[in-house]
Amino acid sequence: MSEDKQGLDFSTVIASTVHDMKNSLAMLMQTHSQWLARLPEAQRSGSELGVMEHEFAHLNGMLVQLLGLYKLGVNQLPMCPGYHELDDFIEAQLAAHQDVLSHRDLLASYRIDTVNPLGFFDRELIGSVVSNILNNAIRYAGHALLITVSEEDDQLLLSVNDDGPGYPLQMLERQSDYVQGINPSSGSTGLGLYFAARIAALHERDGLQGRIEIGNGGPLGGGVFRLYLP
Amino acid sequence: MLVYSQKSFLIVDDFSDFRSSVRSMLRELGVRDVDTADCGEQALRMCAQKRYDFILHDFHLGDGKKNGQQTLEDLMVDKLISHECVFIMVTAESSQAVVLSALEHEPDAYLTKPFNRIGLAQRLEKLVQRKTLLKPILQALDRGKPAEVLTACENLCRQDQRFAPLCLRYRANALRDLNRYEDLERFLKAILSSRATPWAYAALGALLFKRGQIGQAQGIYEQALKAFPLMPGLYDGLADVLTATGETKRAQSVLEEAVRLSPLAVRRQMLLGKLALGNEDFDGASRAYRQAVSQGQHSRFKDPESNLGLAQALISKNGGGGMDARTRVEINSALSEVAKEYTDDQGLQVRARLMKATSLIKAGDPETAAKLTEQAMARIEGMDQFFSAEAALLVATQLQQLGQDAASNGILKNCVEVYGDDPAVMKNIATLTDDPTILGGGNEAVDLNRQGVRSYQAGNLGGALDLFRRALVLQPKNISIALNTTQALLRLAGDTPTAAVLEECRACLSRVAGIPESDARYERYRKLHIRAFGG
Repeated sequence: MSEDKQGLDFSTVIASTVHDMKNSLAMLMQTHSQWLARLPEAQRSGSELGVMEHEFAHLNGMLVQLLGLYKLGVNQLPMCPGYHELDDFIEAQLAAHQDVLSHRDLLASYRIDTVNPLGFFDRELIGSVVSNILNNAIRYAGHALLITVSEEDDQLLLSVNDDGPGYPLQMLERQSDYVQGINPSSGSTGLGLYFAARIAALHERDGLQGRIEIGNGGPLGGGVFRLYLP
Repeated sequence: MLVYSQKSFLIVDDFSDFRSSVRSMLRELGVRDVDTADCGEQALRMCAQKRYDFILHDFHLGDGKKNGQQTLEDLMVDKLISHECVFIMVTAESSQAVVLSALEHEPDAYLTKPFNRIGLAQRLEKLVQRKTLLKPILQALDRGKPAEVLTACENLCRQDQRFAPLCLRYRANALRDLNRYEDLERFLKAILSSRATPWAYAALGALLFKRGQIGQAQGIYEQALKAFPLMPGLYDGLADVLTATGETKRAQSVLEEAVRLSPLAVRRQMLLGKLALGNEDFDGASRAYRQAVSQGQHSRFKDPESNLGLAQALISKNGGGGMDARTRVEINSALSEVAKEYTDDQGLQVRARLMKATSLIKAGDPETAAKLTEQAMARIEGMDQFFSAEAALLVATQLQQLGQDAASNGILKNCVEVYGDDPAVMKNIATLTDDPTILGGGNEAVDLNRQGVRSYQAGNLGGALDLFRRALVLQPKNISIALNTTQALLRLAGDTPTAAVLEECRACLSRVAGIPESDARYERYRKLHIRAFGG
């Protein structure tokens, strides 16, 4: 192998390509929905459409995540926390997935049980985490999804529940490995958990860091993703 | 669902596909009034003509164009939109935009591409709700009444304490505008001890710096950068502090970091150029000034000082030797821009010519250089506008380099007369000359002025006026002395000054009418001018 230092820095190449891919995908999605709107009502449904929309969202989520991971790797992921209205935040997440949800005929709802209507976090970063987790939940859910927000020990607890088969046992047992980025090769779910854990940990208060947790059961009996923000 | 049929929308995006896609989403929501623009400049023109209720602005509109953040700043500073207008920043990738806006003008929301109609409707509805909740605050902001902003915030918090966090920034800005610095400091420290945000750090750092608590300001910025290392605005603050304490090398490297994070910032590049030039890093200075000049084309922060700085850096970079053709072209175009665009500014015209002359000497054309220098010196004779102290020193240096010692000394003498009461200026003058008649020229007047200020503060207005008058005879063009004399005269005269008093005030002020608008005392001059000459 030659030790040519002139060679490309491959991670930068990927990052800038992903950036373009993301723009291109955005245009594709936007055009797709415009085109759909022009079709007669009868042709605007069908399971293929559901698949397309879900895969669009999935692709987009992965690209966002990839860019995020790249920036984390080079210490360039900016963090700018602020106060955000919780209902607004959750509604926006669900609205972004509304097309997929309706094509898959999934009932998505949310419940906010906090005294304070505002949460303190980086809206964009937490948004990308929740969006990925939602995509995952949509893939496995049978009929319903539920997002809950509550307070636990002075921390904000955001959980995404589905009524699917739940996370594989092996994954639950090894969740700390995923979170630490050990063996991240196990597909997008594992990488997603790693990303989520890193973003959660960027949220810190008085030495306490945010964290994530996965489990089964919960109000819908399927998979549960929990995000704790101090 | 809200009714949008009576609302006006403006979509700003460089892709026509995107504009039509958003337009059709809005139509489906019942919107009738939709205008579009493909760049920020056009958006500004449209906002000057029409009041929009909603603006959806893409953040990145192509290289060399205003980005969404710059348009938003212009809209706010020029008051082209009401605070009640909903401004949504549309981004492909949100992080960059958030970082840029975190410290000053924030959009009401970010919307990441791609989004669908339901997502758009949800954001709009929620934003309208929030604007309605905050309406009294926003209206007070539009009226420019910070005291009313505070009252509105208090009322809202009393109604529902849970929404207090939404008011924090409005309250901090209002306290700042009301000069309630102690309250502001307490308020910001409380915010930081509970939930640290970049803007609160920046506001506290700026406050401490403004009040001269330099060491504490530095501590705050350093603490802030530990928590938020990717916020360019915090580096700017730290660089200001370091410049003030004379650590210009460190200030430069801090600004370089900020530029690396966010290169699109005219003021930052210009400041970096200045620091680098002072540190004799001519490469760095040319790079930064070059950016400042080219970015300035689309910015409200365009500044001819960047052009002069670029020329200076390029000339200095080429030390003793000649200059290559490319450098000469770059210097020429930077300087001709100043000559063409600032024809009314006598000082700039002189400085551009002298700079050109200096470059021509380097390039081996002493004849033209000599002619330009002659021209510039003739213009200096006819100037009724004062150079700022900084510009005067630059001009004096340049004249020295061009072998015009007499003219250089003339500039310095004049500078001593106008600014001699400022020890920092005197210190800089001392680096250019040892001539005791120049350096000591203002001593007596400055001393009389100092005594006058003391008497004035002690309440002895008559004694103060006498001292100021004596000082003014010695140095009639000294800005401080002229303003002090006028102020003492008006104060003694009370509400109804006699014609003779007004006459004397006018004479004082007329002699310092050349005060540059950039001078810190300009506002004071203007107010006294109104009282002496009428509104």
